Amino acid sequence: MDNSVIEQVVEAVLAELSRSEGVTVPEAPEIHEPEERDITSEAERAAVLVKNPVDAEAIARMKKYTNARVGVGRAGTRYNTQTLITLRADHAAARDAVFMDIDRELLDGIGLFAVESRCTTKDEFLTRPDLGRQLSDESVSVILEKCVKKPDIQIFAADGLSSTAIKANLPDLLPSLLDGLKNRSGISVGTPFFVKNGRVGLMDQVSELLEARVTCVLIGERPGLATAESMSAYIAYEARVGMEESRRTVISNIHRLGVPAVEAGAYLAGLLCSILKAKASGVGFRRDTGNEG
Amino acid sequence: MDGEVITSVGIDIGTSTSQVVFSHLFLKNTSGCFSIPHIAFVDKKLIYASQAHLTPFKTQTTLDDEALRRLVLSEYENAGLKPGDIDAGAVIVTGEAARKENAEMLLNSLSDIAGEFVVSTAGPDLEAIISGKGSGAQQISKARGICVINFDIGGGTTNIAAFDDGEITAKGSLDIGGRQIRVEDGRISYISKSAVKIAAAAGFYPELGEPADPDMLRGICRAMAEVLEQAAGVSPADDLLEEVRTAGSTFFAAPGNAKAVCFSGGVADCIHSTGGDPFRYGDIGPFLGEEIAGSRICSELTPLRGKETIRATVVGAGSYSTTVSGSTISHHGSVLPLKNLPVLKLDHFEQERCYGGDSEYLEEKIKWFLGQNDTTRMVLSMTGERSPSYARLKTLAQCVGEAMGEALPAEAPFLLALENDTAKALGQAIEMIAGPTRAVVCIDSVRTEQGDYIDLGRPIMDGMVIPVVIKTLAFG
Repeated sequence: MDNSVIEQVVEAVLAELSRSEGVTVPEAPEIHEPEERDITSEAERAAVLVKNPVDAEAIARMKKYTNARVGVGRAGTRYNTQTLITLRADHAAARDAVFMDIDRELLDGIGLFAVESRCTTKDEFLTRPDLGRQLSDESVSVILEKCVKKPDIQIFAADGLSSTAIKANLPDLLPSLLDGLKNRSGISVGTPFFVKNGRVGLMDQVSELLEARVTCVLIGERPGLATAESMSAYIAYEARVGMEESRRTVISNIHRLGVPAVEAGAYLAGLLCSILKAKASGVGFRRDTGNEG
Repeated sequence: MDGEVITSVGIDIGTSTSQVVFSHLFLKNTSGCFSIPHIAFVDKKLIYASQAHLTPFKTQTTLDDEALRRLVLSEYENAGLKPGDIDAGAVIVTGEAARKENAEMLLNSLSDIAGEFVVSTAGPDLEAIISGKGSGAQQISKARGICVINFDIGGGTTNIAAFDDGEITAKGSLDIGGRQIRVEDGRISYISKSAVKIAAAAGFYPELGEPADPDMLRGICRAMAEVLEQAAGVSPADDLLEEVRTAGSTFFAAPGNAKAVCFSGGVADCIHSTGGDPFRYGDIGPFLGEEIAGSRICSELTPLRGKETIRATVVGAGSYSTTVSGSTISHHGSVLPLKNLPVLKLDHFEQERCYGGDSEYLEEKIKWFLGQNDTTRMVLSMTGERSPSYARLKTLAQCVGEAMGEALPAEAPFLLALENDTAKALGQAIEMIAGPTRAVVCIDSVRTEQGDYIDLGRPIMDGMVIPVVIKTLAFG
C-alpha cells in the first residue's frame, strides 16, 4: 500500500473523530520514566556483577584495591551489557577531556589570564606536539607584559590532554599552593596564568622568558579509562629549552580518588621550596634532600 | 634517604610472668618516583627476646617496681641496647599487675628507662588486640581477606579478638587458662573461682589437696573448651559464658562470618602438639590444649598456626603498637614528642558543623572536654572529608583555629588528627590563622575512637611522618 493512501486514511479518521462530539479521546497512559541510574557512579562501579559468586564479599574487597574491571562477570567470552556501557561512558569521558576547552569563567574565578601555544585547534595540538611546546608570538608578548620577572617560583597551568582534570583540580589546588608559599617568607612567586593547547615542554620557554628559578606547570594527564580527572605537576629548576627530560620532577595522580587537590597543593608548596633550596630537580634532586616536609 | 630503622621495645608484665623483646621496624617510602611519598612499615624483625621472668611482687597485689626496673635494665644489657636507643614501643600491664596503683607506679618507674617514646597500656581488651597482632592472626586475616578469631590462652585468661580483613571487629576476655587449676606432687594445689564454676556446671567438684584425677581434670578442661566454643560462636551461648567473663573486659560478640581460628599464649603450644606427661607444667594446660584441639572450634573453623604463641603479647607490644601517620602532614614548632593526649573525637554531625564554620559550638565542646579531662592538652580528631574544596577547608581551618585559640592556653599547641588525607593542607591553613608563634601539628591516616589516648613521637624520615600510638588507658 502506498504511503500517501495511509496518510489519507489517517487524516479522514482524525477528521471524523474531532467532529463527533461527546466522544472523548482516551488520555495517553502515563509513561513512567525509568529511575535515573548513573552506571559510572562509585556505588555502581563497586558492585559485584558475578552471578552466583562463592564469596561476594571477597570480590568486593578485591575491587577496592583496583579500578580495573574485575568481578564484573561475563557473557560468554565478552563483557556483560552494563560493563560494556560503562566502558563506553568512560571512553566518552576521556575523549571529552581531551577535546573540551576550559571555560573562561573558571579561569577568571581563580584570577588567571589565558594565553595559547602555537596550536590553533585541538587537531593540531594532537598531531603537532612540537607546536604545543611553544607559545604563540602574541602569547609571548602578553606574558612579558603581565608577569613579574625573575621570580623564585613561576607557576602556570595548561590543559594538556585533559581539560577535565584542570576543571576538577585547579580551583582547589592553586589557592592551597599559593597560600602554602605565602606561609614561607622570603620567596617571590611569579604571576600565574593558563596556557591553552599547552604541553609539558612549554615550561622551558616560560622559564627562559621570565627568568624564573623554579618553574611548575600544572597539567591535565592523558585520560585513561579509570579517570579523566587526573592532573600532574611538572617542576624544573632553571628549565631551558632543549634540556634533558630527566631534569623534571613530577607529581602525578592528583584527583578526587588519588591525592586530593588541596593536599597536593600544600605538598607542592614544600616541594617547590625544597627544589629552590637544592638548586636541582629531576634525577638530580632527591626528594628527601633538604625537604621541609 | 631510602629508609629508616626504628628500634622498638615490648615489655609485657603479667600476673605470673614478665617478658621483654626488642624489634627492628623498617620504614620505607613505598610510593613510586612520580607520586607523593607514602611511608610505611615494610618489615619487622625480632632482634632479642628475653626469657619469661617471674613477675616480682612486694605484697600479694603490689608490684616490686624496683626489682622490675632492674629486670628490664638487665634485659637491655643482654640485648646490647641502651634506653636511649629506643624509638618506640609499649609496656603492657595485665591481670593482677594492672591494678591502678601498679600501673601508675610502672608508668613512673619505667618511663625514663624504656625510651623516650614508650607507652604504658593495660586492660584485657587491649591485650586481646595486641596478642592477635603478635600471633599473626591479624596479618592472615588481611592477607586472605577473611575473618579470623585469635584465642590467646594464657595461665589465667583467654583474650579473644576477631579480625575481619585486618580490622578488629570484636574483642573480649574470659577467665579460662592453663593455670586455673594447679597440680603439685600429684595433688590439686589451686583451683580458681571460675574453674570451680565451670567444673560445677559439668558436674565435677574438685577439692584442694585431693589426688589429681586425670579423667576429672580432662572433663573440666572439656567444659572449659565448650565455653570457648560458645565464645567462638560455634555452639549456642549459655549463662556460663557471661559468668566467666574477665572483670573489666568487653563481652566478646562472635562475628558470624569467622572462617579461621588462630591460637596463641602458652596453651597454644599444647594444642599443636599433644601427648606427653599431662602434669609436666604442674597445671591443666596440656589437658586444656588437647580438649581445644578436639573441640568444635577446630572442626567448624579452620585452625591456623600463629607465628608466635607464648610470646604473642610481648611481640605484639613491641612490633605492632606503633603506627605512622600519613606522609603529607604538617607540623610547625618543636613540641613533639607528646604523650597520653586525650582525644576529642567529633562525630559526623559535629564535623559537618565545623566544616560549616560553627566555631562557637566547637569552642564550647573543647572547653567542656578540657574540663572533663582536667587538662589543657588534647587532640581534636575527626574523619574529615575525602576531597574537600579549598573554600570548605579554609572555613574548617578558621573554625578550628578560632575555637582552639579561645579554648586553649596561649602556649598550648593545636593538635589535630584526621582519617582522610588532607592534614597538610588543613595544617597549613590553620597556621595562617593561628599565627607564627603557635605550634600546630596536623596529621592524617589516623583512626581514633572517643575515649582514646594518643602518643605523638618525634618526626622521622626527614620529618615526613610522625610515629603514633593509639591506646586506651584502662587501668583495672
